[in-house]
Amino acid sequence: MHPYRRNTAIVTLGLTAALTCAGCDRAGDDTDVRRAALSFLEAAQRHDGAAACAALAPKARSGLESGGDECAKEIVGRGLRTGAVTGVQVWGERAQVRLAGDTVFLARFPGGWKVTAAACESRPKGPYDCQVEA
Amino acid sequence: MRRFLRDNALTLFFLAILLLALAGQAVSGWYGYNDDQLAQAGAEISFGRYLTSSQFAVDVAENWQSEYLQFFLYIFVTVWLVQRGSPESKKPGEEGEESDREQKTGRHADAGSPHWAAAGGLRGALFARSLGLVMGAIFLVSWLAQSIAGRVAYNAEQLADYEDPVTWSGYVTSADFWNRTLQNWQSEFLAVASMAALSIYLRQRGSSQSKPVGTSDEATGVEG
Repeated sequence: MHPYRRNTAIVTLGLTAALTCAGCDRAGDDTDVRRAALSFLEAAQRHDGAAACAALAPKARSGLESGGDECAKEIVGRGLRTGAVTGVQVWGERAQVRLAGDTVFLARFPGGWKVTAAACESRPKGPYDCQVEA
Repeated sequence: MRRFLRDNALTLFFLAILLLALAGQAVSGWYGYNDDQLAQAGAEISFGRYLTSSQFAVDVAENWQSEYLQFFLYIFVTVWLVQRGSPESKKPGEEGEESDREQKTGRHADAGSPHWAAAGGLRGALFARSLGLVMGAIFLVSWLAQSIAGRVAYNAEQLADYEDPVTWSGYVTSADFWNRTLQNWQSEFLAVASMAALSIYLRQRGSSQSKPVGTSDEATGVEG
């Protein structure tokens, strides 16, 4: 092959690979994300504070403990309720689960997806307003 | 082998420093990405995962598209526009695609001409513009790659900030997309304008991109 055409082919292949990888972040994550959000909300709803706190990202957990109270005690007092999932979005290392009456944000950790924010309400402009937040 | 290296030294040198720079970008980008992850309540990721991430892809693609746009524009615009005194330019009065005789195309092709230079019709017309067309095509593909990878990276950032993700059409009309795009374009355009103008008055002895040192400032299209 002519060197110029060969270089062009290499560049084109590289770009195609970059395009493919841009989409491969999401593969197969939706189910894991949905399960992580629901198990967190179900634990909080049945007042299993230890299980709910275990599902939180470390920063979200320490955020609940900042007032001196334990996370497990604090989380069950937030009135969290599970509900029907209306949408799951996974982008890179982050995810969002929308439920009837709640929105949960998650991040990917070595041990699986952890909740970074919950009991979130959208605002007309800017970030969601969350009761539990890292 | 030695002859191959010497004959292709220019291309090989730039491919080698491309790989070195890309490796440096990957490592520094990985550290920066992990810093951001920790600051936004997330977890660090492995180097392998970063290499296949949309964040790395968009950072690479946004620079590639602007480089290919620069060459695409330079190749096409220098057909029609000149810069008096620049070795990068044709002489004033030579603007345009020139005659078949000057370009050695059609029946004026000689024994050493590429096969397609002698061909007429669409094949001949495409070959006669193939350099610009290929550069333009790579520009468009890399710009598209930037928009797709950029949307994934932007949406991950949105979720880390507890905001909603956006659609592709929402992303390509966003400030993030156009800021990434235009900050690269402006630097390419500045570099081309600087090269065209500075090469009128300045010299680089022995460089194919400069006039010979003793050539007049008025001389146009003379390369060393």
